Amino acid sequence: MQGTIIENLSGKKLSVLVALLVVAQIVSFLIGGLVAPPPSNSQNMLGTACRDKLNVNGTPPGLDDWMYFRPPGKCVHVDTHEMSETIIPLVYVFQMPTPRNGKFLDYSRWQHSLIGVLQIEVMYHNHIVVPPITKLTIDARLAYRNKGDPEDEWKHYASSIVERNLECTIDNAREEYNYNCSTLSLFELGSVFHDYYLLNIRLPNDPLKKTNQDLGHITDLCVTVINQNGGFTKVWVSLKTVSFPITLLVLCWYWRRIHMLSRSPALLEYMLLVLGCALSLLNMPLEYLTLLFDMPYMLLLEDIRQGIFYATLLSFWLVFAGEHLMVQDGDQKTSLKGYWRHLSAVGVGCLSLLFFDMCERGVQLRNPFYSIWVTNIGAKLALSFIILAGVSAGSYLLFLTYMIYKVFTNISIKRAALPSMSSARRLHYEGVIYRFKFLMVATLLCASLTVVGFILGQVAEGQWKWDQDIELEMTSAFFTGVYGMWNIYTIALLCLYAPSHKQWPVEPSENSVSEEIEFSRLPTEPNEMLSLTAFSRKTAID
Amino acid sequence: MALELLLLLMVVWMLPIVTPSATFSRSSTWIHAGFQDMARLDALALRATSIGSSSAMRRHHHRRHSGGNKSEERHRDDDAELPLLLRQLPPSASICKQLRGLSPGQEKLCGLSQDHMPWVARGARSAIHECQHQFQHRRWNCSTTTTTTTTTPLADDSELAESKKNQVAAIFGPVLESGSRETAFVHAIGAAGLVYTLARACRDGQLSSCGCSRGSRPKDLNREWIWGGCGDNLEYGYKFAQSFIDVREREQRHKRRSHEQGRSLVNLHNNEAGRRAVIKRSKVTCKCHGVSGSCSLITCWQQLASFREIGDYLLDKYDGATEVKVNRRGRLSIKDPRYSLPTANDLVYLDDSPNYCFANSSLGSLGTRGRTCNRTSTGIDGCNLLCCGRGYNTQKSIISERCDCKFHWCCEVQCSTCNKSLDVYTCK
Repeated sequence: MQGTIIENLSGKKLSVLVALLVVAQIVSFLIGGLVAPPPSNSQNMLGTACRDKLNVNGTPPGLDDWMYFRPPGKCVHVDTHEMSETIIPLVYVFQMPTPRNGKFLDYSRWQHSLIGVLQIEVMYHNHIVVPPITKLTIDARLAYRNKGDPEDEWKHYASSIVERNLECTIDNAREEYNYNCSTLSLFELGSVFHDYYLLNIRLPNDPLKKTNQDLGHITDLCVTVINQNGGFTKVWVSLKTVSFPITLLVLCWYWRRIHMLSRSPALLEYMLLVLGCALSLLNMPLEYLTLLFDMPYMLLLEDIRQGIFYATLLSFWLVFAGEHLMVQDGDQKTSLKGYWRHLSAVGVGCLSLLFFDMCERGVQLRNPFYSIWVTNIGAKLALSFIILAGVSAGSYLLFLTYMIYKVFTNISIKRAALPSMSSARRLHYEGVIYRFKFLMVATLLCASLTVVGFILGQVAEGQWKWDQDIELEMTSAFFTGVYGMWNIYTIALLCLYAPSHKQWPVEPSENSVSEEIEFSRLPTEPNEMLSLTAFSRKTAID
Repeated sequence: MALELLLLLMVVWMLPIVTPSATFSRSSTWIHAGFQDMARLDALALRATSIGSSSAMRRHHHRRHSGGNKSEERHRDDDAELPLLLRQLPPSASICKQLRGLSPGQEKLCGLSQDHMPWVARGARSAIHECQHQFQHRRWNCSTTTTTTTTTPLADDSELAESKKNQVAAIFGPVLESGSRETAFVHAIGAAGLVYTLARACRDGQLSSCGCSRGSRPKDLNREWIWGGCGDNLEYGYKFAQSFIDVREREQRHKRRSHEQGRSLVNLHNNEAGRRAVIKRSKVTCKCHGVSGSCSLITCWQQLASFREIGDYLLDKYDGATEVKVNRRGRLSIKDPRYSLPTANDLVYLDDSPNYCFANSSLGSLGTRGRTCNRTSTGIDGCNLLCCGRGYNTQKSIISERCDCKFHWCCEVQCSTCNKSLDVYTCK
């Protein structure tokens, strides 16, 4: 990559530009902190235990028979705290969302995703033996209803008989204490298209198939539903709506610049272009479509779009460091092939994460109650995907640090040699060094801010806050801030690392006759400083 | 958190109360609500609230110890009684007049949120139940005055009291009139019971009026909900319990620096300690749901412990309660400066406990005669201490116990029976 805008920009212009970007960054952070609510909200629901209406042969009723308790009439309540002499067929009913302030609430399509977590409260009795890990079989059925539908008209949405591993421990084994049972992920909906949902859970008790034979005294079933906040989605989508046209404009401008070159674009310029395209893909506000259509694959799509962007960004850094090594051997143009070892680390990592995502969220498109972690093979497969991703992330980091280390050693060597160089060559190297250092500083700043923000967000979230005096919503601010930051970062790269049209002041120097000859050999490329590259290559060969 | 605790401590402790005029009997508390007829209450609440099912509201009777048949019977009684009650009942506002033991301020609050009242009663009942469980082996056994003997199985106390609902003038008797440790515990467990029951009721979706917003009633609830303003159930229970229970102490006017004022301050402190106990024992559970299920996005919520756990926690606090006095500025200070300052989670008391060894109706003590004790224990449940040195009677009996049980969902237990011969010791 040759002369870029950043090398030719005056300090004043650069500082104005950087100041503008910093302001944009602060604005994106504050939008999350001040306007947006927390990204997600949870509603904790206690299951209402109703007497189940079994078929004559003892099997649970059909999929069109739903048990609900609002409006009352259908459900006959059973107190599960008591132990009775006979087995009562039970169905636990959850109606979402729960009413608040004396009003019925309904889900909005803005709420975007719904995740259900099941918690089982098991009471300790010293005469009942509970093994630490039990296989729990759950017959879960989800139905929906929309506003305006008759109140008893629940329609089938999804149903499945799934297994979960229930791990229960107790530190303080005393009568009527609750076991500490692990939370079980129950379902995950990628879209909240309907207004009301109804969940019926049965724990089939079959001595022949040995299902649910080792359970303790289950007093309650709790389901916590986590939904993305509609307000957060609104802020998020508006951010995308604003940044999408901006990225597109900058991308077009950059593309025009490259087109205007008389030479074919360098590898790094292609990489930047791909990065810009990946960002545009990420910024595309597809979320608007969920308001009109039921798109349960939105979560998966979001993961994939983010994955593509981050994969491109990681590859860009590799190529950028590689192209600034300043060891040019021969005239051949560098291509991606030279980086296959490094890029395969990124590729393997991202692909394994994609496979994992497909196995979990992809299958959940068909069956929202599916979890890869339940079966032994599934858990091993998922874990191996994650380990593979971790290993490739590690090797990527090694490659990158090694390359950056090499660049820095080269820079110090070239620095020492700078005073003895001709002015044009000196300018070239100074430009390269400046370019590299600028990107290094910017990247390190962005990466460290992301990491710090992430840790801060975790700490703030981990501690349960009781005083809500702080109006700044840290988690949302972190999300919008990070999103805005990588947007700004990419846009700044596209602007600053676009090829420059300015001509460098070339001073004729007396002590290098050979260079004059070289100049005359390349008379048709006065602007793009390709001649300078030729010089440097020549010296490298020398 | 530490700063917040300190602030709260200061607010509770430095509450200056100036003019004296007590308007109602001190010996009755809101906990009396626990002795109301639940079916009647539910019916009343039904009229007061638009959402919620009648039978649903009866789910949380705490009848864990009562025999299966008996409670089943009661359940059916309730059902039969309900339609009749609905027809006979006076306008819904009178639910608050019918609840005994409410102070004027509490009656007002009751009028504002009538659908909460069955849960208030239920909270009080579980508090009494828990108190009696915790103190079953102590000299004072959280006895209620409506039960005449202390030898009856404790679990039945509340049932018994329920049937004698016309005699609930003073449930705990004069015991609670002093500022003793026992009073401290009763106040704390009462507050905890209310927070606990309300938080549970909110989760159930049965109590439809649980708060959504942090502020007052939101103008546009649906917008509020989309913007994530639907509050935590425990927080709601805490706030309602705070306003409902503390109003009793705050509306009284006592002479500054008087013993009465001191008791008021101590009660406020212990109420807060009880409410905090529920929060303190609850666990935070989190779920990661970021990109590819990573923890870049994490949501946490509170999970209630069992009420037994909260009772045990408060019993610990009872054992470590700090004695305080009213100082010259009308605030509470520690009596013995060698002890460290109690936090908002600790219990405080003003007066020494009376001697519960002997029956003394003016103190409200029933004595320990006839109580069962543990011969081998050297603790407070041991015969030596519990019987106050009067000695004990020994009686041989064979008890059949359930053992090696297997639980079948739902709710059947298959056990073998083990016979055990046991010596029962009762205090002389």
